[in-house]
Amino acid sequence: MDMLRLQNLQKSFGSVRALKNASLTLREGEVVALLGDNGAGKSTLIKAISGVFPVDRGDIYVRGEKVSIRSTRDAMDLGIETIHQDTSLAPDLSIARNLFLGREPVNFGWLGVFAPLDLAKLRNAASALLKRVGISKKLDADALVSTLSGGERQSIAISRAMQFAAKVIILDEPTNNLGVEETHGVLRFVKEVRDAGHSVLLITHNIHHVFQVADRIVVMRRGEIVAEQTVADTDLLTVESLITGADMSALLKQARAK
Amino acid sequence: MRSPQFSSLIILVVLLVVFAVADANFLSPLNISNMMAFLPELGIIALGMTLLLTAGEFDLSVGAVFGLAPVVVMLLVQNAGVDIGVALLAGLVLCIAIGAINGLIVTKIGISSFLVTLSMLLVVRGAALYITQGFPLKSWDQPGFFVTLLAGSFNVGSFRFYTSLWWFIGLSLFAIYVLRYAKLGNWISAIGSNHNAAVARGVPADAVKIWLFIATSVLAGLAGMISAFRISAASPVAGTGYELEVIAMVVVGGTALTGGRGTILGTIVGALMLRAIRNGIVLIGVPGLAYNIFVGLIILAMLILHALLQKNAASG
Ligand SMILES: Nc1ncnc2c1ncn2[C@@H]1O[C@H](COP(=O)(O)OP(=O)(O)OP(=O)(O)O)[C@@H](O)[C@H]1O
Ligand SMILES: [Mg+2]
Repeated sequence: MDMLRLQNLQKSFGSVRALKNASLTLREGEVVALLGDNGAGKSTLIKAISGVFPVDRGDIYVRGEKVSIRSTRDAMDLGIETIHQDTSLAPDLSIARNLFLGREPVNFGWLGVFAPLDLAKLRNAASALLKRVGISKKLDADALVSTLSGGERQSIAISRAMQFAAKVIILDEPTNNLGVEETHGVLRFVKEVRDAGHSVLLITHNIHHVFQVADRIVVMRRGEIVAEQTVADTDLLTVESLITGADMSALLKQARAK
Repeated sequence: MRSPQFSSLIILVVLLVVFAVADANFLSPLNISNMMAFLPELGIIALGMTLLLTAGEFDLSVGAVFGLAPVVVMLLVQNAGVDIGVALLAGLVLCIAIGAINGLIVTKIGISSFLVTLSMLLVVRGAALYITQGFPLKSWDQPGFFVTLLAGSFNVGSFRFYTSLWWFIGLSLFAIYVLRYAKLGNWISAIGSNHNAAVARGVPADAVKIWLFIATSVLAGLAGMISAFRISAASPVAGTGYELEVIAMVVVGGTALTGGRGTILGTIVGALMLRAIRNGIVLIGVPGLAYNIFVGLIILAMLILHALLQKNAASG
């Protein structure tokens, strides 16, 4: 079943056409890797899906139903959770408060924004979540995010997405700036998330990661989707040449022939 | 232990002891009563400023609003014969409008709050000077409900306190609750800590900021009214320089100027500290014209201390 279907999305920033007729389908329980060079339009595409800004044209379908995503709240309510390239946590808040930011459990809900946080529930739910996603080091739910390593922060962001995303999780370069172990942690999360039935859209510049976790590859170039392949039917060189637009395997053959 | 408001508290206690030893009059009922009369007026503004700074913005127009609100209210009463209650309501609406304009320009047009509220300071102060032609007005001096509410006084033993102290205490408790325990406080800290992250989680950052600008303006107007009622005069230049003094109170208390980390308790300590410094320095005989030197130096020392503690906490 199609979890998410994008049809002919277009988006311009002034004269820059960041998205030209981008179409993409994400199925249930599938990891799709979105690849492309710097400035190809990957972040723009996922920002449109996650409600950071509206598209100029095109349609978005969630589970076959046409939807309109006007705000980040709309996307969240549709079950689309995004971990943006620029960090998505507030460093001065505790882990627990970050995990539930924007969806705080409260008492006396009728008090609106003045309602008191249900601190016990917040802490317990946070601890349970940290345990469930199996973050290796034992983290205190009350610790400030500013005291965590980059990898730990990424794991927190991913656990938050897992907690709330009924359907789709989008990760924009989640392994950037991470160490080896932390990177493995993130990739393991991606697999776990998929096994738990979520669909994942993964943006990365690391093709090796793609072959480890993705089911399908979608390549963007200059705002357009130029190729779609299943991982099983392709190889590293082919994908690389698709990204750069140059025929790498031909180049390699040439080089070998010399 | 290493929390900024705690270190501020220790410095406050040290200062109080030093002043008390240096001059026995410092802790006299009269002097304490005096300090407590001034404290709420800047303190109330500092509460709003703390929330605003925590959300990553600040407001330089508070001193001017402090001056304009009572001037407008008293002009309406004296020159237009408007009922005092209605005039106060008009003053409230004016403060809401000023705050809303600040907030809308900062969030929707995206100009830094420094520039927007600096311009607003000039506009508001200019308006106060223009409509009064620069002359102070007599304030409302007939006793009545509003005067009792804002500037009534009562004696406890040989101490004389004003009702404004209750306002300060009540508003402080509310601000502590909001920042620490309410959903709104979580949003305020998140917005100041990482604006994009908060927005990505569906936090209505612009609306929160606009309301904080409004709250700060209204608190500045309230403080202005309290002051005007207490001294029975409304001057167009009242509150000049208060914006910086209030920001000093807030940051001395440990709230980060860069947003994300705010403490109301720290601000209360900061407000007490600046009040005690201003008062104590005069008592111990520092010449009046020199005391800003001391105030400035003490503030600097406090900030350096916070910075060192912050560094320490980060590395250890
Ligand atoms: N807010 C914006 N205003 C103007 N131009 C933008 C904006 N966001 C993106 N662009 C432009 O749109 C194009 C696509 O940018 P995008 O961020 O989507 O690239 P990307 O594929 O995510 O690249 P990277 O791999 O470097 O993250 C670029 O030319 C970029 O300069
Ligand atoms: Mg990008």
